[in-house]
Amino acid sequence: MMAMDPGDIHRARPEAVPGRGGEPDLDGLLVLVACGDESAFEAVYGQLAGAAYGLIRKVVRDPAQSEEVAQEVLLEVWRTASRFDPAKGSAATWVMTIAHRRAIDRVRSVTATAARDHLAAEPAPASDEVAEAVEASLDRERVRHCLDGLTELQRESITLAYYGGYSYRQVAGLLGATLSSIKTRIRDGLIRMRDCLGVSG
Amino acid sequence: MKLLRHDLHLLSGVYALDAIDSDLERDRYQRHLARCHNCSAEVRGLQEVTTRLAMATALQPPPAMHGKVLAAVRRTRQLPPAADSQPRRRPWWGWLGGRSRWLPRFALAAAMVGVGAAVVLGVILAGTQHRLDLAQAQNRAIARVLAAPDARVLTSSTSAGGTATVIVSPSERELIVTTAGLRPLPASKVYQAWLINPRRTRPAGLLPAPRGGKTQPLLTTGVSTGDKLGLTVEPAGGTAKPTTTPILVIPLRA
Repeated sequence: MMAMDPGDIHRARPEAVPGRGGEPDLDGLLVLVACGDESAFEAVYGQLAGAAYGLIRKVVRDPAQSEEVAQEVLLEVWRTASRFDPAKGSAATWVMTIAHRRAIDRVRSVTATAARDHLAAEPAPASDEVAEAVEASLDRERVRHCLDGLTELQRESITLAYYGGYSYRQVAGLLGATLSSIKTRIRDGLIRMRDCLGVSG
Repeated sequence: MKLLRHDLHLLSGVYALDAIDSDLERDRYQRHLARCHNCSAEVRGLQEVTTRLAMATALQPPPAMHGKVLAAVRRTRQLPPAADSQPRRRPWWGWLGGRSRWLPRFALAAAMVGVGAAVVLGVILAGTQHRLDLAQAQNRAIARVLAAPDARVLTSSTSAGGTATVIVSPSERELIVTTAGLRPLPASKVYQAWLINPRRTRPAGLLPAPRGGKTQPLLTTGVSTGDKLGLTVEPAGGTAKPTTTPILVIPLRA
């Protein structure tokens, strides 16, 4: 199932420390950040702050709260950079995982008690609304294109879970589907996305 | 068994999307990932896909954010690398080695054991006194909350099973939490209490390890109007911010 050609294996583990004079990639930058390099942090900020903020806005919605959460996330990136392990995934994934988690925590802690009752009644966010563009990006176009290649149900489940910040249990409730069908749809959908985007595992 | 395994494999997608809200289920899957190489490779790939979903949402952050974050960075100390990723050091007795003969080394080691025992005993005694003082102070504080004329008792069930009982006194700005029947945690985890309000979430102490399914009262001070009490599962020692979904949130409104 995990088609992996030998070339991927060599690329799978990026060099932790960039070569002298070489343009450091994100993973390398994060290693420098872990050593307390503030200018490396600024470079990471330049590359990821927009995506972190955008993702948090998607989940949290409220601009002021989103900014607060984004600041917390970026500070956490600085503070915990030594915990980043390039062998476990890319730097962008590490940062976006923190951003998504913090966004969800914000949404759930503020509304933990009230929202549970609300949830079922709340209208689902439009599933095809991928991003309100500020700048056109190739990346965004490809993601949109690959999302379009999913079945309606796969797309809906993935966007509700990721952009809506709902747990798969809540997604199942919202869509009136069983837990195992949501698990399957999300996994199948992401695998299809992976192949479409040409992401190597 | 087969069905169970099959079901676990299906979790890769929702795990990659961070859409599992049960700590139990997430922990179980993480343990599975540690053993299943194919699964962890699959999750890595799917996580890269979710990262692309994230990157596709990029917006221009508010211009002021840049300065605020950098200012915060300048006054924030970083975490040292995790202990388990540090290179293995010589054992602490390593320096005893070298060229000295066996007997002096033994004598030195024996002397060290003696000194060490004395130090340990002293620390234990001091610690016991300290704990007694603490316990007395805590008992007085608990009595104060219980005796407050505005003390109220709130009880709620938690999503980790069992119930939590809170006695809160708005005038004393203090509360006491006890629990019964919460899911037992491994030694690496702890239940942590939080004071939550829309502005910020503050750590409010760690629940003591349960005895007979019940926890000793935890006292929390500095409660303000509008606060809610939350409980989360955190790594042993607690964290500065909650890292998991609360198993309980109780509004404390007077």
